[in-house]
Amino acid sequence: MIKFEEPIDIWGQISPEHGYTVHGAAGALPFKPLNRQALAMRIFLLVISLLTIYALLTIDYRSVDVAKAAADTLNNLKIIFLQPDTHRLSLRDAFYEVVITMGLAFLTTLFGGVIAFFLGLLGARNLAPKQVTNIVKGFVAFIRAVPTILWVLIFAVAAGLGSAAAVIGMTFHSVSYLTKAYAESFEELDRSVIEALSASGANWWQIVFQAVIPSAATSILSWTFLRYEINFANAVAMGAAAGAAGIGFDLFMAGGYYFDLREVGLITYIILAFAMALEAVATGLKGRIRQNPR
Amino acid sequence: MALLELKNVTKYYAGPTPALAGVSFTVKEGEFVSVIGPSGAGKSTLLRCINRMIEVTGGEILFGDLAVSKLKRRDLRKLRTGIGMIFQHYNLVDRLTVIENVLHGRLGYKSTLAGVLGLYSREEKMQAFNIIKILGLGEQVYQRCDQLSGGQKQRVGIARALVQNPKMILCDEPIASLDPNASKIIMDYLKKIANGMGITLICNLHQVNVALAYSDRIIGINKGKVVYDGPPGKLTADLTSEIYGTESGELIVDWGERYAS
Ligand SMILES: Nc1ncnc2c1ncn2[C@@H]1O[C@H](COP(=O)(O)OP(=O)(O)OP(=O)(O)O)[C@@H](O)[C@H]1O
Ligand SMILES: [Mg+2]
Repeated sequence: MIKFEEPIDIWGQISPEHGYTVHGAAGALPFKPLNRQALAMRIFLLVISLLTIYALLTIDYRSVDVAKAAADTLNNLKIIFLQPDTHRLSLRDAFYEVVITMGLAFLTTLFGGVIAFFLGLLGARNLAPKQVTNIVKGFVAFIRAVPTILWVLIFAVAAGLGSAAAVIGMTFHSVSYLTKAYAESFEELDRSVIEALSASGANWWQIVFQAVIPSAATSILSWTFLRYEINFANAVAMGAAAGAAGIGFDLFMAGGYYFDLREVGLITYIILAFAMALEAVATGLKGRIRQNPR
Repeated sequence: MALLELKNVTKYYAGPTPALAGVSFTVKEGEFVSVIGPSGAGKSTLLRCINRMIEVTGGEILFGDLAVSKLKRRDLRKLRTGIGMIFQHYNLVDRLTVIENVLHGRLGYKSTLAGVLGLYSREEKMQAFNIIKILGLGEQVYQRCDQLSGGQKQRVGIARALVQNPKMILCDEPIASLDPNASKIIMDYLKKIANGMGITLICNLHQVNVALAYSDRIIGINKGKVVYDGPPGKLTADLTSEIYGTESGELIVDWGERYAS
């Protein structure tokens, strides 16, 4: 256990009035000399700014009237957000499509969660040998480094562009995200507690279900909800990009195919409403979990 | 009758110096044995070799008629079920209630599935309740363990060990994180458990006077070797200094207290 041996009066000085500095510690900090990393960063920023200025000066605008283009853009935005309307898509259809998108998000979160649960157990340092956790964590970090859309496109090679590729690709990325989150949640339970239970004769599965999961339940639920929200956004994008049906596909058709700005506005509002409702439910649930942590 | 017998037990961790170097002793049923010695002497290592949380390097440990180091996985589990253990930092699942933590002591008796699902019989629950009540935690049964004081947590730890119906309980510095009051309560309970219930206790302690006051026998170890093994009455100030490797008179031991209990 850590004990702070400093006299209390030093701690009294660490307060907002004193600007969070500990008196007695040698005044102002000396300037840090530029290390290699900081130097590289500065050179990089300088080069980027120079290139940007050069590009803006030498750009070829041709027949585009910048002022008119800006006005048109504003006008389009006005149509989208102030005059939403529906033509081909009835409100009922739109809701149905949103439900499909939510289903896609739910399915991938569920698949991802179940697989990630087991991988998370193997990735938790207090539950598995070090070599195993290293392999699991490395594998999962690799998957996570590649964006969801790329995984969908990779699986589209085998499954064809559509909902199957979207489900597999999104599940894949969810697994990696949730495995890391779950493993870290499992690690919240101290190794010594696990030692105590195995010293009393409990076996690994019993310890996992009777001690590790009850301790990690709150964070596991929070992480899963968080991922569900991410997957909802992903599912909208996949509908557009990978033709995975749902409201995203309608948005893509309205925007890219029919150029129906009013419908784009309507769909945007519907998605926004659902996303907000989701957020509210998640926040409420998290609050309830925190109040009654069992 | 000997319940536990250690024969020439040695333990090497990574380095060339042994944590235990040829430790031998026997413990009778119902005996209250205190193990004292300086930090790093090998007390915790000794305790964990007995229930094989640590594998010994050499020597033999007999518990009843079981050769501890030769046990297969299933028999090892049975051995551990019969030996309770309590710890300096209690090692409870903080998020769970007192009763849930105590019932964990029954997991060793269950099939994997019954344990995973947490299916405890009526008798088990009654027994857990009774032990909790005897230890004076009747009002905290459904409280979460992170809301308890240190002394109360340690009593939950004791209850978890007792619900195993153990033949022996190993205590690794059970009062090192407690104030004198709570320490006394815990030690009094441990004494009752040894003398009243006939459960053997092996107790690592840092406080020599507590060991003197409570135990039937004291084992002093230094650098992995047993340097004293005998009744508290024969442990003189000189011998104590030898155990701790200091000049006599430097240790803070209240020798008057040995007659207090
Ligand atoms: N897991 C380990 N790996 C390597 N060395 C260890 C390990 N555990 C203990 N040791 C070493 O073994 C020796 C005995 O340690 P042990 O924890 O048994 O001492 P202790 O008597 O319980 O000390 P304390 O009173 O501080 O708890 C020490 O020198 C320690 O450094
Ligand atoms: Mg120790």
